[in-house]
Amino acid sequence: MSTTESAVGELAEYVLIESKSPGRLAWERFRRDRVAVTASFVVLFFVGIALFAPLVCKALGINPLTLDRKALNDFGLPNGPFGAMSRKHLLGVEPGTGRDILARLIYGARISLLVGFVSTLLTTVIGVVLGIVAGYRRGKIDAIISRFTDLTLAFPSLLLIIALTRPFTQRLESLGVPEGNPARLTYIVLVLSLFGWVYVARIVRGQTLALREREFVEAARASGAGHWHMVFKELLPNIWAPIIVIVSLSLPGYVAVESTLSFLGVGLLPPDASWGVMLGDSVRYYRADPAYLFVPGVALIVLVLAFNVMGDGIRDALDPKSDRQQLG
Amino acid sequence: MGETMKRRIIGFLGLALSASLIASACGSDSSSRGRNAVSTDTFASTDTLAIPGTDSGTPTTGGTIHILSQLEQVTHLDPQRNYTGSDLAFAGSTMQRTLVSYAFAPGSDGSQLVADLATDIGTPTEGGKVWSFTLRDGATYEDGSAVTCADIAYGTSRVFATDIIVDGPTYAISYLDIPQDADGNSKYPGPYTAKADQQALFDKAVACSEDGKTITFTLSRVVADFNYTVTLLAFSPVPKAKDTGEKYDMTPVSSGPYKIESYEPGKSLVLVRNENWSKASDPIRNAYADSFVYEFALDPAVIDERLIADAGDDQYAVGDGGLQPENLQTVFTDDRFKDRRQDDYDPYVSFTAFNVKTVSCVEVRRAVYLGLDREALRTAGGGPYTGDFADGYIKPALADDYAPSKLPEGLNTDGTPNVEAAKASLEEAKTKCPDVYAKATVEGLKFFHPDTPIWQKLVSIWIESLKAAGIVIKPTAVEPSKYYPTVQNEETDYDISRGTWGPDWPNASTMIPELFLTTGGFNLTRNGDDPAYKQFETDTKAALDELDRKAQGKKWQALNQFLVDQLWSIPGTFTKAQDLWGSKVGNAYRWSSTGSFLFGELYVKQ
Amino acid sequence: MSAKVDTPLFYSPLSYLRIALTTFIARRLLFALVLLAAVSLFTYLLFALLPTDPAALTCGKNCKPELIEANRVRLGYDKPIYEQYVQFVKGIFAGRTYGTGDVAFTCPAPSLGYSFNQHECVSTLIGKTFPVTAFLSLGAFILWMLLGVGTGTLAALHRGKWQDRLTSVVTSIGVSLPTFYVGLLVLFSVVIWLQWLPFPHYASPTDNLHDFLTAMILPWITLAVLSAASYTRITRNGVLEAMNEDFVRFGVAKGLKNRTVIRKYVLRAALIPIVTIAGLDFAALLGGAIVTESVFSLPGMGRLAIRSVTDSDLPVLVGTTLVAAVFIVMANTIVDIIYGILDPRVRLK
Repeated sequence: MSTTESAVGELAEYVLIESKSPGRLAWERFRRDRVAVTASFVVLFFVGIALFAPLVCKALGINPLTLDRKALNDFGLPNGPFGAMSRKHLLGVEPGTGRDILARLIYGARISLLVGFVSTLLTTVIGVVLGIVAGYRRGKIDAIISRFTDLTLAFPSLLLIIALTRPFTQRLESLGVPEGNPARLTYIVLVLSLFGWVYVARIVRGQTLALREREFVEAARASGAGHWHMVFKELLPNIWAPIIVIVSLSLPGYVAVESTLSFLGVGLLPPDASWGVMLGDSVRYYRADPAYLFVPGVALIVLVLAFNVMGDGIRDALDPKSDRQQLG
Repeated sequence: MGETMKRRIIGFLGLALSASLIASACGSDSSSRGRNAVSTDTFASTDTLAIPGTDSGTPTTGGTIHILSQLEQVTHLDPQRNYTGSDLAFAGSTMQRTLVSYAFAPGSDGSQLVADLATDIGTPTEGGKVWSFTLRDGATYEDGSAVTCADIAYGTSRVFATDIIVDGPTYAISYLDIPQDADGNSKYPGPYTAKADQQALFDKAVACSEDGKTITFTLSRVVADFNYTVTLLAFSPVPKAKDTGEKYDMTPVSSGPYKIESYEPGKSLVLVRNENWSKASDPIRNAYADSFVYEFALDPAVIDERLIADAGDDQYAVGDGGLQPENLQTVFTDDRFKDRRQDDYDPYVSFTAFNVKTVSCVEVRRAVYLGLDREALRTAGGGPYTGDFADGYIKPALADDYAPSKLPEGLNTDGTPNVEAAKASLEEAKTKCPDVYAKATVEGLKFFHPDTPIWQKLVSIWIESLKAAGIVIKPTAVEPSKYYPTVQNEETDYDISRGTWGPDWPNASTMIPELFLTTGGFNLTRNGDDPAYKQFETDTKAALDELDRKAQGKKWQALNQFLVDQLWSIPGTFTKAQDLWGSKVGNAYRWSSTGSFLFGELYVKQ
Repeated sequence: MSAKVDTPLFYSPLSYLRIALTTFIARRLLFALVLLAAVSLFTYLLFALLPTDPAALTCGKNCKPELIEANRVRLGYDKPIYEQYVQFVKGIFAGRTYGTGDVAFTCPAPSLGYSFNQHECVSTLIGKTFPVTAFLSLGAFILWMLLGVGTGTLAALHRGKWQDRLTSVVTSIGVSLPTFYVGLLVLFSVVIWLQWLPFPHYASPTDNLHDFLTAMILPWITLAVLSAASYTRITRNGVLEAMNEDFVRFGVAKGLKNRTVIRKYVLRAALIPIVTIAGLDFAALLGGAIVTESVFSLPGMGRLAIRSVTDSDLPVLVGTTLVAAVFIVMANTIVDIIYGILDPRVRLK
């Protein structure tokens, strides 16, 4: 906690920096946060690998589907220490099949990140829009949206997702979504978004309601600002922080849900890989092949950590009041 | 156990798979061999084979045995509904007695018939059309009342109530001499709804003598080994006054040395001594332990870990589902476990069935067989521990019925794919049956598999290995517990499905007709329209009617070869299973008739 | 939450506020009932439209069509869906009897149906399993709130310092790794490798407190650590936000002690979003901690639910879904009420 002086000093700085454009200020603040910048590069690295998975694997001479019986012993377990890590298989091979773990990790990143990104995008967009509308307009519209939120929240989502996977995937297939994993992934993303947006909406609505009462918003309204101005210039910039926190939490959350679905038997179909499938599979080998256990787990932790640190950095950078000299 | 394995699989698929469920290879079946001498050569390949029951020392009385299970509950404790290998062994050795049982002994001795509630192993008359058994005195239920002939007849009659008594074996319905209506349904609807005249039909077929000392079964045709049929718990006694219909599954009355103390599905089943059971009236059960605790709903990985760790009460524990493949290396390469592990054949044969209606071209079926990397499949399931590559549907342990068969030309005996031979066979198909050829190479063959972790890998191997031969596999994952109902449904449009089956008693009559006759209990091949089917049906009926056992065996051998030639289905493995048990458990051996422990005979080592 | 919370009423004198709160609570409870009715109807319809035939599942493969039909009638599945639904709702209040004669059986009110798989009334099954889930949820909830709010505040107060970074790493692990993965690893390491605890055998706390605690401690910790991660991050941000609020700056300017400011104002303000999410998360757990219960073999409602999915046990599926919904709606209603009470501006004014 700071003393009175530093609070005053900060106030002075606050006034001072207001003279530059907010976006530029945010960028400058972010650039100074070296940890956050590193984290962003890590995130970009993962995204890049996922996007260019076929090229990366070709360059490394590996394939996620090729069986390698020679890398396995008679028990079907990797034929060497550390999950049979070798020059040919840098991260070892999958027990049972001898498929290259690195290649599966790279291709798996595609599916896991896709599920994570698309679900997060959908939930955030729907949640923010409905949350702001409800909080800003209030009255009837708010009542309708809030009741709808309550109804959605009332269902035990994981249970419903599991119970409805097969019939709804078939429904999607009959609607023309390609059979197999495309249909399953579409289902997973849709249903995660269907249940996920309410959390975002609730928080955003709460923030909006609180903001409405604030002096600067009231001032803007009194001066006759239009709805667009109110939403985009007054409200949105001030609720970025919680939204970014939600995003940086929900993306890995969705990756984890995808793996839980695989664990419960309604996840991705073979022969494709996702990090979730790998996590689910590797747990069974914790004794026989611990190296396999750590690879997908560590990859996931690194990605999520990078995401969180980057999210914190962006949040701090966007917050006009934040700076190094915080209270305490 | 025909249905047995089927049920067993359904149970296991719930979370993960036991080693024995994995498709692959070829060996024999130490299990269900009655009078058939078991050729020990067929087992010689396994150096780790335990000689069960020989190193156990003298059994001692007392203590509690724990049984660790992945299932939510015992599939069925209602004797008439029990048709699962390990459940039959469990209930049969602890609570439910039958007229005749297999001997409680390891190895091939366990295939001998011994008298239990009866004093003999059955007397056939009219060439095997009428069977009578003399009842033993002194057998009682847990409430002290006597087990009567009427109770055995009543128990048997419950099988006919097919709306309530479901999932059990139905040999009583197909064998007993009770008239059928035009639709082929029995005119006797079971004891719950039968009118007096209907009950009379049953009472004529299953009759008790005046003094209640003898029970006589009148069959509609000759069944030379009917005394093997009555070893099934479906023929065990149920006191009519205690029958609670559907709910009897939870509260069966015990006639054996143990009774239920508490039963909470999803948690545990506790058995304690039945004070009203007397050893004098029971020639086969020893009842060493004081109590049994069946622990349910454990993750299979957790079960293995507990048995490996061997700490606390787990020293007195056994599993009911075998070791997971990923732990075989740990257990079988470390001498620490050498006194408490076993690796042995179970009664089952695994196979991959084609839908012969859609894959009507034998050249395509053969191409799949030739091109499939069966070696990789077997490796994924634990290598040689999965079993041996099967050369048909009869395990060598069925010595009367087994003969090595001639496999398709070009099939690699080590299980590796022969891509050239597969391609050549496909090339033949191209001109002979272009439609099926196009389906196999372009559109893709629909492979229905259970949606479990191990199958995710096995299916990947199917896809990847057949890709090399130019065959396209399109997988469809089916919820594990619904797998068999799904593929047995005529409307399911699979091209390939898979199954595992074992004999109900030591005669291929419980294998080949069940698997390949259109009326069979587990025919996944839809082979009724195949040009070769008529011949097969005629020959199978002839084999069933053959009364000379040796001659019948020859007929089964010929039929087995016929099936390997037709390839309506691809033989997988003569399966094996592996177990580990706590260091203080005695008498842990595989009972050959069910392929599982003889739970009631386990004892606590002092 | 409702629009009511933010109406000017809330800023009125205390007595007036109380009346408003009572009305507000009454209205919320009424709405909760309406919501439950809607949820039950929706759940019933959704599952009734699934491609599984509940009657066909009542008997095995030897089943003849006429037997399926008989069971269909016995269970009331022959009637149109809306009539089935009316029967179902009636059963909740008045109990329900299936079939006639010897094979008839009754599920007393509140009847949620009858499970053929388990030969039990659904309400009995839920009654047996719910206490396990309730104990699990409550213990985990208390732990994770303490842990989450504690570490979150710590991180915020030491923003940018090692405490903050460490929290970030730990929460990343918590947020990213799925429960089944962490749960199994915890179980394997603590019970099997280290043998610090016996293998969990659940017993009710009144029967055997020792078994109860040894069975619960690992699931509590696992759930708490994993769930606390989100709370740590939300708290951290809430605290940072609050510390920028004018009233906090004002408090500091007034010369109040840091600790007082944090406790009285900052935490209170930061708790608002936490309470919102916490109520929902807790309710979701009460509806069945599916994965945790599976991993630790706890005979709770989540396992009952997931088993009903694998067995296609429709009555149990509908029953557990509804009971879960009741908890969520209840928690929701309570959260709404607390939400207003916690609003710091109300306090300061």
